[in-house]
Amino acid sequence: MAQPSDRELLEDLLAREHRLLSAYEAALRRDAIDPALGAMLRDHEREHVRALEQTLAGRARNPRAGVAPPELNAALESRESFGRYAIGLEDDAVAAYTEAAASIGRPGLRQPLGSIMCCGAAHVVALRQSLGSRSFVP
Amino acid sequence: MAPSLTRREALGGALAAAALASCGGGDPPPSTGPKPGSGAALLGSLLALERAAIAAFGDCAEHLDGHARENVHAIEAQERGHARRLEGMIRGLGGEPPPGRAAEEYARSFPRIENAADALSFAEDLKEREVRAYLEALTELPSLELRTQASRICADEGTHLGAIRVLRGLPAAQGPFVTGAL
Repeated sequence: MAQPSDRELLEDLLAREHRLLSAYEAALRRDAIDPALGAMLRDHEREHVRALEQTLAGRARNPRAGVAPPELNAALESRESFGRYAIGLEDDAVAAYTEAAASIGRPGLRQPLGSIMCCGAAHVVALRQSLGSRSFVP
Repeated sequence: MAPSLTRREALGGALAAAALASCGGGDPPPSTGPKPGSGAALLGSLLALERAAIAAFGDCAEHLDGHARENVHAIEAQERGHARRLEGMIRGLGGEPPPGRAAEEYARSFPRIENAADALSFAEDLKEREVRAYLEALTELPSLELRTQASRICADEGTHLGAIRVLRGLPAAQGPFVTGAL
C-alpha cells in the first residue's frame, strides 16, 4: 500500500482533532465531564485544529464530515462512560500522531506533530485521573 | 554581579552532565561500525540520556511513597525498556552500544533531593528534557524505521511527563503543545 501523502496525513489528524473537539464540546454541554478538565481539553483541541488548519492553509477537504460517531451519544450518559470513550479517542489520536510524526515528508513538521502527540498522551493521563485511577503509566 | 542559575537550569544541567559523562569522558567511543549519518551517534546520546534517567528515577523513588512511588517505579521500568530498544537499534545499525556507568556515578551529578517535592520537581525536569530530545531526534534521524521507534518512545515520555505533573498536583498537560508549536 502506498504511503499517504503529507496532506492526507494532516487531513486525517485534523479529522481526529475535530472528533475530539466535538466530543469535549458535547460532554461539556451534557455535564459528562468535569467542567474544568473538559474546558482545558477542549481548548487544547481547538489549538490543535487551528494549527493543523493553518498548516494545511485552507486546503483540507471537509474535515468535519463524519464527525459525530453513534457511540458518542451512548458515551455521554455518564462521566465514567465518557471518560472511557475519550481515552479511546485520545489513544487512537496518539497512535496516529506517532506514525505521522515519523513518516511525514516535511522534516519541519515532525517536531510539532510530536509535540501534539505528547499533549494527547498527557490528556490520557488526565482522563485516567478523572476516572479515579492512581496508576497513570499503562 | 555573578550570573545565577535557576533551579530548572541547574537540574537540567545536572542531567545533561550525567548523560554526557555516560557517553564521553573515559568511556570508549560507541563503535566504529555504523556509517556516518546512520543515526547511531544520536541513538547513543538518547541511550545515555535514558540511562541517566533510569538512575535518576531510582533516586527519586526513594523519596516517594504510595502511588507516587508506584508510578515512578513504573516509569523507571519503561525507561529500562526504552534503553533496551535503543541498544537494539544501535546494534541494528552495526554498532555496539556504549557501556554506560554505575548508578552511583550518575547520582553524584544529580541535585540534592531532600523530600518528595524535590524528587517530583527533578523528575519533571528530566522528563521535559527527554521529551525535547526525542522530538529533536524525530527531525534528525535519517530513516523512517528509526523515527518510528523514536516516536513511539516519545509518546511514552509524554505519558510520563503528564503522570509526573499530576503527581505534583499540576494539570497533566502543560499546554496544547508540549514543546514548540506548528
